[in-house]
Amino acid sequence: MSTSASSLGPAQPSLFDRAIAPAPKPAEKTARKPARRALAPTLPGFLQGDAARKPAKARSGRVKLMDLRQQWLLSARARVVFLLMAFAALALVALVQIAWLGMSGASPSSRPTATALVPDRGEITDRNGVPLARAYPAYSLYFYPKAMGSGADDPLVKSPEDVTKELLGIFPHMNKERTLRLLKSGKSGVLRRKILPEEANQVWSIGEPSVQTPRSPDRHYPQGKLAAHVLGRVLENDEGKKVGAFGMEQALEAQLSDPVARAQPAALSIDVRVQGALEDEMGRGMLASGAKGAAGIVLDVDTGEVLAMASLPDFDPNRISFEDKDNTGNRVSFLTGELGSTFKPLTVAAAIDSGVVRDLRKSWNAAPVTVAGKTYEDSDFKGASLNIPQALAYSSNTVTMRVARELGGERLRQVMIDLGMNRAPNIELQARGTPYWPSGKWSPQTTMTVGFGHALTVTPLHLANAYAAMVNGGIYRDATLLKVEPGQADPGRRVFKASTSHRMRQMLRMVAIYGTGKGANAPGFRVGGKTGTAEKLINGRYSQSKMLTTFASAFPMDRPRYVVVVTLDEPTFTEAMRGRTAAFNAAPIVGNLIRRAGPMLGVRPDNTRDVDISDLQNLMGKGE
Amino acid sequence: MTLTGSRLRQIGWSAMLGFCLAGFIVLSLTVHAVRNEVVLAEREIIELKQAKQRLETEFQARASQHQLAKWNRVDLGYKAPRADQYLDTRKDLAALGVPLAPDAPSPVRVARAETGENGEIAKLASRDMVSPVSGEKITLAAANAEEDAGAAFAEAFGDILIEASPIREARAQTVNASFPSESNE
Repeated sequence: MSTSASSLGPAQPSLFDRAIAPAPKPAEKTARKPARRALAPTLPGFLQGDAARKPAKARSGRVKLMDLRQQWLLSARARVVFLLMAFAALALVALVQIAWLGMSGASPSSRPTATALVPDRGEITDRNGVPLARAYPAYSLYFYPKAMGSGADDPLVKSPEDVTKELLGIFPHMNKERTLRLLKSGKSGVLRRKILPEEANQVWSIGEPSVQTPRSPDRHYPQGKLAAHVLGRVLENDEGKKVGAFGMEQALEAQLSDPVARAQPAALSIDVRVQGALEDEMGRGMLASGAKGAAGIVLDVDTGEVLAMASLPDFDPNRISFEDKDNTGNRVSFLTGELGSTFKPLTVAAAIDSGVVRDLRKSWNAAPVTVAGKTYEDSDFKGASLNIPQALAYSSNTVTMRVARELGGERLRQVMIDLGMNRAPNIELQARGTPYWPSGKWSPQTTMTVGFGHALTVTPLHLANAYAAMVNGGIYRDATLLKVEPGQADPGRRVFKASTSHRMRQMLRMVAIYGTGKGANAPGFRVGGKTGTAEKLINGRYSQSKMLTTFASAFPMDRPRYVVVVTLDEPTFTEAMRGRTAAFNAAPIVGNLIRRAGPMLGVRPDNTRDVDISDLQNLMGKGE
Repeated sequence: MTLTGSRLRQIGWSAMLGFCLAGFIVLSLTVHAVRNEVVLAEREIIELKQAKQRLETEFQARASQHQLAKWNRVDLGYKAPRADQYLDTRKDLAALGVPLAPDAPSPVRVARAETGENGEIAKLASRDMVSPVSGEKITLAAANAEEDAGAAFAEAFGDILIEASPIREARAQTVNASFPSESNE
């Protein structure tokens, strides 16, 4: 106050001057009083000093007194002006403040719409936009001791033991020791993730302010176990960041975590309805046949899109404890095996393509074949000689071996390489199984055994790719789990001639009408396919009781659109299935699936259409 | 103090300037107030969108493919359409609506009146109207009485209708059904 007063200029009497003014007479006391009272609180020290000097300057004239009054009046006015200016300055500051608040301060610094709806990890949808994996703010159980004040000795109202007991009442599977340890330690931490809203309410009613249930972004798979092997799972890494552990969560990691790209959902080629039907039918088939596992895939033959891919037993990616982590192996793209007779159509196609088989009416010797000291015979004898359609319909090992021998190792090997059988399948997933591929030049024995699907282990995905190439006109394309926009499909490479492909459609259809594939012949859907039953190789010996049964098919055969491959691992002889081979267990699964999923896939059942097999029909008589 | 022309103009200009300044300040304050309202509205939109997404996710989870398959197996029993259930042409569709053949069974009717030999409708009034609950005879004197027919009906049936109202039960069901999460989980 004093400094600003002195800055008023020399014309005004300073406070200091006034302080050393002579002491007033008793008559003037009343006039002076207000000024003195005003000064009193500000300059008590000077006034005390004046008291000593007063007598020296007390004697002055009347004129001098008037001057003095004038001075005091001036100074009083100056004080008023100064006060007014101070108020004005204050008002100005307030006005500026209001203006500034109005212009910018009160409004949020940035517009929230652009970023608030972008999830912390991108959404994964199926081909029709149904969410398969999305960020979801789930409740979690969190211990926050500071809720009771940082200085509080005891962060809990009740004893830690009591609180643990009450929590265990809500979450029976909670780890008691760990909970108690955390509650006693007084450190904050997560007690449990992904709790239900009802549970959060119950926790709230315990009445412990330190035990909280905040909502935090989490990964949620609304469809539960559906397509679990395709989607994979998200796990926290060492830095506490959530990253895809396997499946498409891992394959699309860059896109899902990119701040810009994650705003748009990533569309997979999967169709949830077909996927649900496939898993349901496979699960029922597995139960009925007592198999210990199953794999199934539905593939678009023209684009290579995977419409459904299921591996059983499955797991729930939403589960925290991850008890069924042994089930995470993908049986479709990772686990390899000898897929047996499903290879016979490939061998025959290779033989037709190369001109080894020109006349389908030609009879082939169906007597047992002995190669390298080992004798192979047909499991179901249908005649001493069979033509090619019969050999496929009745799944003759001997005829196929003779066809493979005539074709030669080099040519069969080249076709298998063209069909991608010598390498891991080319798909987005990390879980890609490398086939067991006979190295070097193929001996006649290797050639003949590969001819009927042995001595070479592949995944069901390999087989689906190969069948797609066989029926779609001869073009091989790698399978993909990402949605392919119309017209954007991979051009692929030609493996078979279109004429060969047409012949194979006819013969595969005949297998489903007359042969081992009858169980899959869904009425109206023109299914064609081939069974395959292979004994499993266990410790270097073929097991008599443990099998791998496969049905590889395509529909509708007059203009193939989808390939369906289903494999069962170790099916048993049950009342429901009446047999252990693929004709009894894998084929009916495919039949049921196509009946159910066909209309969803846009294939109308129609009894008036079919692939024309009239030129081969008469070849299906009994073998001679 | 006299006001010369230039002084007047000066005052006028400064008044104009002051007016514009005040207008500008008021306008910009209004603009920013509106902008804040927009931001608040945007926040509400985001909140609602997030709530919608949460509900959508919950719906997806409760109606997942596996759950639908289970329901269908146990309760609904729907099956995929067979080939003969599809219609190819308009002719097929029209065939569904052909006139009845002479030997066709008579179509099911939902309401019927007793007819006499000559096809005349028998007198409906010959049967007494009884209460559906107590079986007591009810006389509807509406036809030949002076009092209002609606009032007579309400007097005769009022209590029964209130007791037997199907609306009550339906509402009770809706109330129960609106809290599925409390009891189901």
